[in-house]
Amino acid sequence: MAGDIQNLMMGLSIALQPYNITVAIIGLVLGIIVGVLPGLGGANGVAILIPVVVTMPATTGVILLSSIYWGALYGGSITSILFNIPGEPWSVATTFDGYPMAKSGKAGKALVIAFLAHGVGAVVGVIMLTFFAPIIAEFALKFGPAEIFAVMMLTFSAFVGLGGTSPLKTVAAILFGFILAAVGMDIVSGQLRMTFGFVELMGGFNFIVAVIGLFGLGEIFLTVEEGLNIEGIKARVGLKDIREGLAEIIRYPKALIMGSLIGCWMGLKPGGATPASFMAYGFCKQSYSNKDEFGKGAPAGIIAPEAAAHGAGTSATLPMITLGIPGSPTMAVIMGGLMIFGLQPGPMLFKEHADFVWGLIASCWVGNFLGFFLVLGFAPIFAAVLRIRFAIILPIIVYVCAIGAYAVNNRMIDVYWMIIFGVLGYLFKKLDYPLAPMVLALVLGDMAEQAMRQALIMGQGSPLIFFKPPLALPIMIAALIIFFWPLISAWKRK
Amino acid sequence: MLKAEIFVAFLLLAIGIIAVVDSVRLGFGWGMTGPESGFFPFYLGIGTVICSSLVLRKVYLLYKQGRAGKRLMPEGALTPILWVLIPATVMIVITEFVGLHIAAALYLAFYMRAVGKIGWVTTIFVSLLVPMSLYIAFDKLFLVPLPQGLWGERLIPF
Repeated sequence: MAGDIQNLMMGLSIALQPYNITVAIIGLVLGIIVGVLPGLGGANGVAILIPVVVTMPATTGVILLSSIYWGALYGGSITSILFNIPGEPWSVATTFDGYPMAKSGKAGKALVIAFLAHGVGAVVGVIMLTFFAPIIAEFALKFGPAEIFAVMMLTFSAFVGLGGTSPLKTVAAILFGFILAAVGMDIVSGQLRMTFGFVELMGGFNFIVAVIGLFGLGEIFLTVEEGLNIEGIKARVGLKDIREGLAEIIRYPKALIMGSLIGCWMGLKPGGATPASFMAYGFCKQSYSNKDEFGKGAPAGIIAPEAAAHGAGTSATLPMITLGIPGSPTMAVIMGGLMIFGLQPGPMLFKEHADFVWGLIASCWVGNFLGFFLVLGFAPIFAAVLRIRFAIILPIIVYVCAIGAYAVNNRMIDVYWMIIFGVLGYLFKKLDYPLAPMVLALVLGDMAEQAMRQALIMGQGSPLIFFKPPLALPIMIAALIIFFWPLISAWKRK
Repeated sequence: MLKAEIFVAFLLLAIGIIAVVDSVRLGFGWGMTGPESGFFPFYLGIGTVICSSLVLRKVYLLYKQGRAGKRLMPEGALTPILWVLIPATVMIVITEFVGLHIAAALYLAFYMRAVGKIGWVTTIFVSLLVPMSLYIAFDKLFLVPLPQGLWGERLIPF
């Protein structure tokens, strides 16, 4: 514990360097804008900037990427409260009460409540990250290939069993992601797979290009389809709003604690932020006596989902840096950034690059703290971004996406892939094929395959190696139970 | 909705079959050094084939019941989508010749004017300013080279 605090102090001394603070602020501002704009989410905001980040020192680069993420988490609530448009999927639950409250003339107060809840969720998440990450990393050092594969099975099972969408389509999306990851050169034998003689396919599919297409263009298609007529509520955040907001937060500690804890817990499992915000809203509504106020601008209805969303967003960092398994598409892209720097996320990272890891953790503290004051001070200005006609913003987004897709590998073919992934993303979204597990499969594909092959070699071909006690067995059993959960719960209902 | 559902399921089915066929070529068994190259993709392919067939079966049953499902996109939504998709594709094709920034300037101007019906002044202002600032930011400050196309070098000589 004491060692952790000492490490954190060392990290803070890195994160608080003037250059890193400047980068964090730039990242936060970009992130908030990205979070505010529909059609440009955290995942793509980070993906587009990856090529720029490569030119920086590793710690600074990752501070920039994660700051964009924190910014996007904050920014999403501005649009959902003032415009009734969730900028990010996890801020949907905020529109239920945030928008009604803003409409009744208390827009400033609604924003303050949301930001405060975010701040608390973030603090709980970061505390968990600071003190649990080293423990989990220490534990994960004992993992061999079989255990790593089992953890991945658990990750993907969580999408299938707890994801909420059709399990069949989830499995199909995951397998599709893995197949895409397998295209190109086989890392073990050097043979070319599924390239059919096309030179363009030899390099395989880059997941950053896929993210930009699926989440960037796909999201834009969805946005124009809905026809954008944005009518927002004008808001100013004054001292009175801050005072009132603080008072409300103090009056609903249960919503705050419930939201933060649900968020942090759900954030550990993949794709957690969105279900966490809905769950927190639901639980919160159940637990308060004034149920009928919910949906009409109840403060607790803003506090719980916001705290949960930010808590989940923050705690998603934990599996990424300790196990190398990102909890959300945005985290996957940040992890991609780490790998470009030659840093392999996972337990060894704590041993080999302690300064980097603690710099990152410290920047979570700094970034969330700064982000809070940025949104509080400038929320109206950020909201003004949405008042720009979408016909101006849309082509700029497409342009920036093209830059991002090209710059990943300096290949023109990737820009065409981006368009194809965009159409695919639109279709998948419409037909309820989940995108997040597909992207994760694409990211983790090589790692999963390598772990599987190594484990099989160790077990001399016997798949029983994946059920080896003491570590792999419980993880694998948990994975299987969660995977078949939809079937189990259907059977139990009968 | 059902048509799109069938289309995507067939697409996945085809991808699954491709994976299986190629894995058979590479060998999907146990080789000299453990699992062969096609080992992992083979099972992925089989899984994809099974999943997409099950989706197809489900859709077929719905179809037989005469349920068309809800529309894939709301009435008249295809036009704005194509208005994004086609100009964006054209922009990329033009990029092959004149480089990304010039292509993007044309694309921005076209989209704002033809689709957004935005005033000429704003259109010209934005479609010049944005590519110029991104050019300076990426190509000059961060030294991230962006596509120049066949003639880009001569078109932006500085």
